[in-house]
Order: sequence, then C-alpha cells, then structure tokens
Amino acid sequence: MTSDRQADYVLAAVAALGPHDVSRRHADSLRRRCQAQLQTRPTRTVVSRGVDRTALQRFIGPALGSAWCLAYLVEVIRRAVAAYGF
Amino acid sequence: MTLMDGDDEGVLAARLRAGDSRAFDEAYDRYRPRVFSFLLRLSRSRTLAEDLLDETWLRLVAHARDLRPGTRLGPWLFTVARNLYWTYRRNSLVADACSPELTLWLSPPAWPSPFELAAASELERRVERALATLSPQYREALLLVAGEGLTPSDAAAICRIAPEAFRQRLSRARAALAEKLEQTGASLARQRGYGT
Repeated sequence: MTSDRQADYVLAAVAALGPHDVSRRHADSLRRRCQAQLQTRPTRTVVSRGVDRTALQRFIGPALGSAWCLAYLVEVIRRAVAAYGF
Repeated sequence: MTLMDGDDEGVLAARLRAGDSRAFDEAYDRYRPRVFSFLLRLSRSRTLAEDLLDETWLRLVAHARDLRPGTRLGPWLFTVARNLYWTYRRNSLVADACSPELTLWLSPPAWPSPFELAAASELERRVERALATLSPQYREALLLVAGEGLTPSDAAAICRIAPEAFRQRLSRARAALAEKLEQTGASLARQRGYGT
C-alpha cells in the first residue's frame, strides 16, 4: 500500500511538470517549412490501366512461379522415367 | 496533460492525409510543446531537442499521405521522436554526460509571470533534477505514461517492447525516481539545517 501511494505520488509529480516549448521564432520557422513541404508534396500518380498491381503481386506472380516449378518437376520425372525405363 | 481521444486523433490524421494545412496547424499547436518537452527531458539538451523536434515534424509532413486510416497522431509523433532520439544516441560518439540540470533550466520558462516562476515549487525542481539523473529508458517510460498520459500498452508499442516488460520497466523507473527524490529531499533538508 505504501509503495502504491509512493508510486502515485511519483507519477503525479512527473505529470505536474510544466511544459517547455521552442521560441516563437523557431516555432514559426518550423511551421513555415512544414507548410511549404505540405503544399509541394509530389502528387502520387494513380495507376489505372486496368491492372491491379496488388493482385499481380499477390496472386499472378506466385501462380506463374508455381506453374514453372510444376512444369520443371514434371519434366524431371518424365526424363527419369525415360532414362530408367520404369 | 493528456492526449486527444482516439477519434479526434484519427480525424486529424485523416485530414492530414488529405493535405489539409489547417489540420497541420492544429496538430502542430497541440503537440509541439508536448513533443518538445518529451524530447528536452529525454535528451537533456535544448539544441538536440530542437533538432529532433524539427525532424519529427518534417517527417510527419513527408509521410502525411501515407498515414493509415485510424492512425493516432499523438503516439505516432512520440514514436518518431523517440526513435530519432535513440538513433541519435546510437550514432553519437558523445557520451550522455550532461549536467543533470544545466540545459533544462536554460530554456525559457513556460510559466507566464515572474511570480509564478518564483513560486514554481521546489518539488518541481527536485523532480526535474531527479528525472534527469535516471537512465533514458526510465525517463522515457515515466514521461510517456505520467507526462503524456499514454497507456502503458501504447507506451510499450512506442518503445517497441512487450507490454509486460514495459510495466516492469515503469515500475522500476518509479522506484528509482522515488529514491532519487528522497535523496534530494534529505540532502536539501540537511543543507537547510532541517535534518536532525
């Protein structure tokens, strides 16, 4: 109980600390820099050619890779069969 | 001192994502002193805190359009500020051996009048000094939870540690600060002849 009270007292003391701030001049200067950057941000070009890039990355790419692996495996098995005459 | 509630923060982040300059002003006025106070007490250097503050806000502007829906701006800003500080610490060869009270008290007073400045409690000064002697990990834990009103879970996410580990760290930080306060209180009493 005592340690809880002590903890509350400590946290309350930290919470009661006064705020600090940069000088008005610094604050205004930083505000201007940020506003300027906010206004001049490059606009992002929207991809709208009918191809969903996300779908391409998520599904089509792995599907093509899987198909290639499958074809490779089939060819290996076919040649093994041909070579050993099973 | 508490953060905005989650909905307000989410709306503000959405407006920023849309490039609303007034939203930036609102966020800037609301969070600048908090982020700066956090950085100043964490770094114990006004110059460094100012540099990191600049970088924090410039990063917000640079990434405003990438803010995810539901992003809470306060924790986002404290995460960036905190990460910048620790990156600086890692990259810096300068030891973190500033005088505990040197730079902090060189900052312009946040109190509005000389009377209030004079009346700034001795306790507050003791807390500032004791806080400055703690390790940065302890300082940031106390500042995020007690100073900024973040939940331990949010603060843990900002510090990139598990919530349970953060709670332990916070508990140790509280104990360490309490011990420092007792020490400074006792030494102060001895200086003034209050001790037995």
